[in-house]
Amino acid sequence: MRTLEEVQATLQIAKLQDEELQKTIHCLSFGDNVSSADYCLLELDDTLCKLIETGESLVIRGDADEHAVLCTKDRTYDLKIADTSNMLMFVPDCRTPDQLTNSQENSHIVHTQIWGFSNSYWELRKQRPKLKKLKKVLMENPYEGPALGGKEEDTENRYTMEDLLESIQASEEELKTSLEAVHACRIDGYWRMLDFDYEMKLLGHLTQLVDSESWAFNRVPLQTCLEELAPLEPKQMIEHCLNCYGKRYSENDDVLYALDEDRVCRGMALMLLQNAVKFNLREFQEVWQQSVPEGMSTRLDQLKSVALVDRSSRPETINLLRVEDLSEDTLERFNQLFTLREKWTEDDITPYIKDLCGEKQSTGALLTKHARSSMQNGIKVFNSRRPVAT
Amino acid sequence: MVQIVIRSSVDGSSPAEWLLVELQGEMFSRHNSALAGNVMGDLLYTIEGVPVLIVGHHILYGKQVKLEKPFAVLTKHSSHLQDSRGCRDSDNENNDVPQLPMETKQPGAPSTSYCVTALIKRKLIFKTRPKPIITNVPKKL
Repeated sequence: MRTLEEVQATLQIAKLQDEELQKTIHCLSFGDNVSSADYCLLELDDTLCKLIETGESLVIRGDADEHAVLCTKDRTYDLKIADTSNMLMFVPDCRTPDQLTNSQENSHIVHTQIWGFSNSYWELRKQRPKLKKLKKVLMENPYEGPALGGKEEDTENRYTMEDLLESIQASEEELKTSLEAVHACRIDGYWRMLDFDYEMKLLGHLTQLVDSESWAFNRVPLQTCLEELAPLEPKQMIEHCLNCYGKRYSENDDVLYALDEDRVCRGMALMLLQNAVKFNLREFQEVWQQSVPEGMSTRLDQLKSVALVDRSSRPETINLLRVEDLSEDTLERFNQLFTLREKWTEDDITPYIKDLCGEKQSTGALLTKHARSSMQNGIKVFNSRRPVAT
Repeated sequence: MVQIVIRSSVDGSSPAEWLLVELQGEMFSRHNSALAGNVMGDLLYTIEGVPVLIVGHHILYGKQVKLEKPFAVLTKHSSHLQDSRGCRDSDNENNDVPQLPMETKQPGAPSTSYCVTALIKRKLIFKTRPKPIITNVPKKL
């Protein structure tokens, strides 16, 4: 251990005058803990720091073949190890000048231990949660309706919320939002995605009932729906369908639903588009309008990110293209899009790249990075930066 | 899927705040032994508050900086189920803590968790080239 005399001798040789210095001298030495490998540094942002200070825990999640992510209740971060050429030492009891009381008259030593050191730390980057896996997992056993006479319901591959948290790299809030987005329903404690045909069947029952009862589509009474459709489907599923395609509200003692025009129209379009590779655009638009409840108007912009219109072909066509079926990896996504179509207008491509944007990134920035622009017939179009295999 | 919890406190209180001392370059012990137990250097402050570090034969001048991105010092704990070692939250758990099954499929399998031992919001960084302290200045005769 250094003594005050030794320190002062060094200071003298170093030509540091007593009067220039504050009285407290920290003699730093390495504590016993430094050689244990059981600690590390985690870089935080302000949000995370506050979370930790209020006592919230964080979770690291990852499968053997996935990169690890860090989750809070509602956010997901990518985890990476960053190296630095500098040496970072962490010292528990070291005071900075603003913390020194300078009450002592004479120089004195404070023996201070360095608890640990590192030249690397965990770096965090906010990330879009990888939800493709959620869909994949839920589609292992989609719900097709109640088991029909004698047939056993498939109880394999069913997931509770806890099961999902264990297999999906996302925070709980993000998971809940995604479950809602894919119209998943909690049946018997398990989160189930509906088989597409079954979901359309439910929606079909609903829209037909609305038409036959001549209800305004923003005043659909829950009770009557349940009574009229009970012979056809379980009440839980009828109510689930109403929740997916409408908004619940109360008037006096009655519970009503306002069906969402965009969602219903989109659902009906998906039903029609599922069955063919490409549709004649004009024919499609006619059939589509006829298929939706009285009073609702179909518009092509309701189909952004689920269908693609080809205005360069004669006749014009439309086909199913769902962004959720494309890759989650940015480079791969652009590759897929440019393979499907060589040149895209900004209007057409934006719905298919919006979800790739980082926190402060715009689709324009993404396009600048991953595509090349040119003018075609006076309109700006984008094509691939690299040669795409045809 | 592996799930590793990072608990934010040992006893329910906010973690302590430590100081980071950052040096350019690596630290070697003169005798090539492990660092634990060895003296590292002397840290002083000038009247103006400039941190000065004396390491071996060198003086380094530095400055105090508030970290744009704070650090958390994490300590690893491996424990078997039912093992009460390692980090423990206070018994009435914060309701916000997500209830996650920490158990792996094999009962008794070791599970890893981390504890936030401290937060670091400020650092002393010594970037200037060390000035050697010349001990033997021959006097002009």
